Amino acid sequence: MRPFPSLLATVMAVVAVLPTQAAEYVVNQKGKSFSQRKLVVQAGDTVRFVNDDPFNHNVFSLSDAKSFDLGSYGQGLAKTVVMDKPGAVEVECAVHPDMRLDIEVKK
Amino acid sequence: MRRLALLAAVALLGVPAAAQVSNAHAQVLASTARPLLARDGEDAARFRGSLVFFNYCVTCHGPNADGSGRAARLYDPKPANLRASDKNEQYMRMIIRNGGKAMARSEFMPPWGEELTDEQIRDVVAYLRSINHRSN
Repeated sequence: MRPFPSLLATVMAVVAVLPTQAAEYVVNQKGKSFSQRKLVVQAGDTVRFVNDDPFNHNVFSLSDAKSFDLGSYGQGLAKTVVMDKPGAVEVECAVHPDMRLDIEVKK
Repeated sequence: MRRLALLAAVALLGVPAAAQVSNAHAQVLASTARPLLARDGEDAARFRGSLVFFNYCVTCHGPNADGSGRAARLYDPKPANLRASDKNEQYMRMIIRNGGKAMARSEFMPPWGEELTDEQIRDVVAYLRSINHRSN
C-alpha cells in the first residue's frame, strides 16, 4: 500500500508543473478600429490580428512587455504575436494613428 | 398687390436687371472656382504637409524628421533621416505612396497610397523639401 500514495503524489506534482494549453485570441481590424479596446490574456497566449478592412494595416507595439512590428498587410490577411511576458502591451497601427488596443498579459 | 408691383417693376427694368443678377452670379461662381485662399501658396502646402507629417510620419521619423521617432528602436537600419535625404521629389512621392518594400528599402515603411491623397503626399514632400539641409 505504500507505493500508491507515492505514485499519486508524483503524478500530481508532474501535472502541477505541466504548462497549461496556450490560447489564441483573435482581434479583427475593421473600419480603422480594433474589434476590442482591451484584451486580457495569459503569458504564452497568442493574439491573431486579422485585417478585415479593404486596405492595409500595420500593427505594432513599443511596450516593454512586448515590442513588435507586424509590417503592412492587406485585406483578409492575418499575423500573430505570442505574448510571452506579463505586463501591459499597447498596440497601435502605424497607418491609422487613432487605432489603439490595450492588452493585459497576466502571469 | 405687392407681387404684381414687383413683377411690373421687373418688367419695366427689363434686360438690365436680369443682366445685373446674372453678372453678380457669375462673379460668385468665378470667386468660388478660383478662391484666393492661402492654400494656393507654397507656404500653405508646406504647412499642410507638416500636419500630415506630424500625424502619420512622426512615429518613426521623429519630430525633427531625422529618423529618431519613438518607434525607431524597433528597426535596423533606422528610419531615414529626412533632413539629410538626397532623394528627389519624385522618388519621395513614390516611396510614400508605394512603401519601402516596393522601392527595395525597408519593408517597415508602409505604403501610404491608400491612406493619403495625392495632395497630401505632395504637401508632405513640399514640407520635407523645406526642412532638408541639402535643398536649403
